[in-house]
Amino acid sequence: MHTPSLYPCGLTRRELLWEMGGGFAGLALLHLLSADGFALGKDAPSTVEGPLTPRKPHFEAKAKRCVFLMMNGGPSQVDTFDPKPALAKYAGQPLPPGKKFINSGGRKMGYLTPAFRKFRPGGKSGLPISDYFPRVREHADKLAVIRSCHTDSHAHGSALVMMNTGKTFIGRPSLGSWAVYGLGSVKQDLPGYVVLMDKRGGPISGQPNWSSGFMSAAYSGTLFRPVGDPILDLRGPGYLTREAQREQLDLLAQLNEEHHTARPGSRELAARSASYELAFRMQAAAPEAVDLSKETRKTLQEYGVGQKPTDEFGRNCLIARRLLERGVRFVQLYSGGGHLEDTWDAHQSIEKNHGLHGAEVDQPIAALLTDLERTGLLKDTLVIWGGEFGRMPFSEGKGEPGRNHNPYGFSMWFAGGGVKGGIAYGATDEFGFEAVENRVHIHDLHATILHLLGLDHEKLTYFHQGRNERLTDVAGVVIRGILA
Amino acid sequence: MRLHLAMILLAGLTCPLSAAPPAFDRDVAPLLVRRCLECHSGADPKGDLDLSRKAVVLGKDGPVVPGQLEASVLWARVSTDKMPPKNPLSPSEKAILREWIARGAPWGSDPLDPFAVTTDRHAGRDWWSLQPVRRPTIPSVGNSSNPIDRWIAARLRDRRMSAAPPADRRTLIRRVYYDLLGLPPTYEQIEAFVHDPAPDAYEKLIDRLLASPQYGERWGRYWLDVVGYAETCGYERDQPKPEVWKYRDWVIRAFNDDMPYPRFVLEQLAGDELPERTTASVIATGFLRLGTWNDEPNDPNEYKYDRLEDMVHTTSTAFLGMTVKCARCHDHKFDPIRQTDYYRMAAAFWAGFLEPGPRELLGGPDTRALGVEGVFGWTDRGRQVAPLHLLRKGDPKRPGPVIEPGHLSMLPALDQPFKAPPATAKTTTRRLQLAQWIIDPKNPLPARVWVNRLWQHHFGQGLVRSVDNFGFTGEKPTHPELLDWLAAEFVEGGWKTKRMQRLILLSATYRQSSLHPRQEEYTRTDAGNQLWWRAERRRLDAEALRDSLLFAAGKLDLTRKGGPSFAPEIPADALEGLSMKGAAWKPSPASEQGRRSVYVFAKRGLLPPLLTTFDFPDTTMPSCQRDVTTVPTQALALLNNPFVHEQSRALAKRVGIARDPGEQVTRAWQFALGRPPRESERRAALAHLEKQARTFAGRPEPKRDALASLCQVLLNTNEFIYVD
Repeated sequence: MHTPSLYPCGLTRRELLWEMGGGFAGLALLHLLSADGFALGKDAPSTVEGPLTPRKPHFEAKAKRCVFLMMNGGPSQVDTFDPKPALAKYAGQPLPPGKKFINSGGRKMGYLTPAFRKFRPGGKSGLPISDYFPRVREHADKLAVIRSCHTDSHAHGSALVMMNTGKTFIGRPSLGSWAVYGLGSVKQDLPGYVVLMDKRGGPISGQPNWSSGFMSAAYSGTLFRPVGDPILDLRGPGYLTREAQREQLDLLAQLNEEHHTARPGSRELAARSASYELAFRMQAAAPEAVDLSKETRKTLQEYGVGQKPTDEFGRNCLIARRLLERGVRFVQLYSGGGHLEDTWDAHQSIEKNHGLHGAEVDQPIAALLTDLERTGLLKDTLVIWGGEFGRMPFSEGKGEPGRNHNPYGFSMWFAGGGVKGGIAYGATDEFGFEAVENRVHIHDLHATILHLLGLDHEKLTYFHQGRNERLTDVAGVVIRGILA
Repeated sequence: MRLHLAMILLAGLTCPLSAAPPAFDRDVAPLLVRRCLECHSGADPKGDLDLSRKAVVLGKDGPVVPGQLEASVLWARVSTDKMPPKNPLSPSEKAILREWIARGAPWGSDPLDPFAVTTDRHAGRDWWSLQPVRRPTIPSVGNSSNPIDRWIAARLRDRRMSAAPPADRRTLIRRVYYDLLGLPPTYEQIEAFVHDPAPDAYEKLIDRLLASPQYGERWGRYWLDVVGYAETCGYERDQPKPEVWKYRDWVIRAFNDDMPYPRFVLEQLAGDELPERTTASVIATGFLRLGTWNDEPNDPNEYKYDRLEDMVHTTSTAFLGMTVKCARCHDHKFDPIRQTDYYRMAAAFWAGFLEPGPRELLGGPDTRALGVEGVFGWTDRGRQVAPLHLLRKGDPKRPGPVIEPGHLSMLPALDQPFKAPPATAKTTTRRLQLAQWIIDPKNPLPARVWVNRLWQHHFGQGLVRSVDNFGFTGEKPTHPELLDWLAAEFVEGGWKTKRMQRLILLSATYRQSSLHPRQEEYTRTDAGNQLWWRAERRRLDAEALRDSLLFAAGKLDLTRKGGPSFAPEIPADALEGLSMKGAAWKPSPASEQGRRSVYVFAKRGLLPPLLTTFDFPDTTMPSCQRDVTTVPTQALALLNNPFVHEQSRALAKRVGIARDPGEQVTRAWQFALGRPPRESERRAALAHLEKQARTFAGRPEPKRDALASLCQVLLNTNEFIYVD
């Protein structure tokens, strides 16, 4: 006999539901529906916990929702948020021999190279941000820039899954899955965890970046497309109008009802019938969430919708705001997709690459921060910006304008609910090569994100194949220095 | 069930009035094991204090000074509740230690073995699943000739409960078809069975299905879940693994041929090392090549250890139902698996092609090393390889002592080091020895784990609910003796799977209805159906669902068995998440699209959404029990997915667009649900046809569209997707 005290959170939900009988997800859904004001009929359970039921955090949450602005490809810290004046002094010299690193992809070795654009102080805090992000700089007082991030891989594929799941190998639940697992979802006709891709493609390693891994599929990220139908299979063939589909659903309900009547006490059957009503509502709710026609011209302009080169990311940022205000728990936006220069992977030229991608996202991100602040959402929304790693302070070959991957030191920033604004936390060495002061590992970032969402990363466990799995494995320390 | 030694001891400990002075082995040792050794023992004891050794505890400057309580640091710590830190000793526990020290601290067996006995914190070697399988006496309850029913009846009788009545023949044939083939019976097959007057009609049915080639396609798929089968490497390039489908076909054939289980284990782990090796047995070693493979790991030298962990985990989960991988970094927290055990087992795989090699070999040997062409298999680099070091905290940067290959110490009867390979061997023969250890009749785990899997797929859940975890944190069997009887019967009957399935399927327990007359009452006391008082209603899994849609539409192609996988049509929208959109997915020609789902190309970066929506598992780790979720995106898929519409239209065509509506309704029900419609259903269906035809009036063929609409509704019903 094992004692519940073994599990930090008591029995895991799955076990709990096992004990209460099969069809656990079905039970869960019923509860969601009842919370959502659905009439459930005779088999409705009164209190059943399930995968997406809204749940109380471990402690009072500073942030109720989270948007992660993922700069796919790895932006250069010394060109964006981590000014290194010393690089001007050392320009043209190699990195000192004592500094050990893996030359990712075996690329040509160049020399220390100063930032390609100027840094200027922003806001009252004077937090320095480069000219790749002039509009974000206006929000400097909201940002906590963590300059001492480091990660476990120099390769995109494994570094992306590291940032998203906490391990360099695929198969673990992603950050958004953990958030939804821990907190549930308050809005049942939209997914709880939405991922918006860049049109140029998805991140390297694909699906495992937003997968729920060994958790139930109910926790995996749902890809949202920014135009047309946001979710897969949201609409059938064109001739199948909403009325025609209503007629189908009415017949289906009748057939299911007869089937169910002959099988009293079968809650999973009731749950599945009810899921069709929810789907029918989702068919309206999802397109509504991405329909920007009700937004004012001013708002669209602020986000850069309809303008080059901000249109796509601006649209996604605006959709993100709409999703967040409609109750979606976790939204991840990708800037950059596919490979190389279509992402922030500036091997060839920082100026060309970051010039383009910076211009694509700077205004939309600034607009999102303004908008979240204006609508009051920012005070309990966590905004995260960053890539899977940073870039080297030296160039790729003599006089070349590109930089190679750097997992040893890079910058990310947090803003919003529970975050201290206008600060820089931690530091890299004088070259911006490796984190040396208040080093922050991905596990620490994850622990902090969960903390801000009201979740203790050591208590948020999922029992899988004999082990209480955590997002942070056996590590992770909350970065107290950035908490408000 | 046997009383646990630990429980008896616990009872003793809670009784401070016991007159006898504490005896070390009986009273003190278990107390130290239970309350102290969790931290203060092993390779890296806390505070560098190993309380399992007499020389440390009673030695010079040791924490216990015999006869002198005041001078004993151990007593100072525990009496002031400083230790154990979170959960101080109870007064009676303290009394034992005080008495023991005061009486001169006599020591007994040395060193103390933290894994000898089960405590309230972890399992010892006396844990139930590690004990030898014994063939228990069949209870003399009830009149069933099937021993399974006797055990079920005995427990139900104790609780004054009774089993559900038998399922009717319509229900039964559908259940047994899905259970064995993953497909529904046709209307004609149902009718024939329902009206078969032969007393052995059901037995004949089972025998026919067990002999069907579709049986292996169903049961092989369950195993493919366990081994995490996929056909690409994952990560950036997500390279296809050439010829890996031959392993899938090997699995399907192994089930169809009813390969004895020991052979099944031997070939997958060591098919290249067998004296009687064949091409097929080398194909089976593809088992060791199914994991993800990163061609660009952060540190290729360290990555070897992650691959090793993957192999240890899959092997121990699949065959032993134990999580050995936890011991990579430290002694297992819950099970009697030492850190050295992990490395003993890992040494079996260490001899393989784990070193960084040419990218195009995808992390394995080339065909020259395998000695066979066109096979994606595994072998050793030679008969002798560099030693494997234990890694402190599992960290490749902190190598510890060399660990010799050997067996897990949790089974003392089989605890021995590996033998050196014979002079003629080309490999280390370590995997062969590991496989032989697994299938040794003295190893109680594999037979228990396997019969539990069979039970699981026939009843929806295992006798041990945690099918992948027979350790401390897993569930205990609902019927331990039944589990052992099945395991014994399996081994004694020649390890034949079909024989065991026949036994299970012929039991009254299996043939119960999913509804019980006293359902509500029983649900209150045993909602989890731990006593097996009814059959579980089950939702079709992703493959059975897709196959059934094709089947109803008359589009399922059962003739194209085996061979390279096919790529199903995937809506362009679903490719958004790929880093290389255009090149990444090329659907196979239409002629391939009707193949069974077991032949769907499993690409790690993009599993077909129709399957994942219905809980097709992640392929990076063993998946032993699928989730069954009910979420609105499933409804969206069945309402809107082009594949489903295609099948609805095909079903409409099969029903006959030119027929009169009454006939159409009858035929649609027969094809989709295997029965004629009831009167109320007929009326509703006819009304639907009429109404939809009006809605579609502007279309070229409104009646065809209306019939397709009706067909689609039937494919969406609970009756279609649930099996009673």
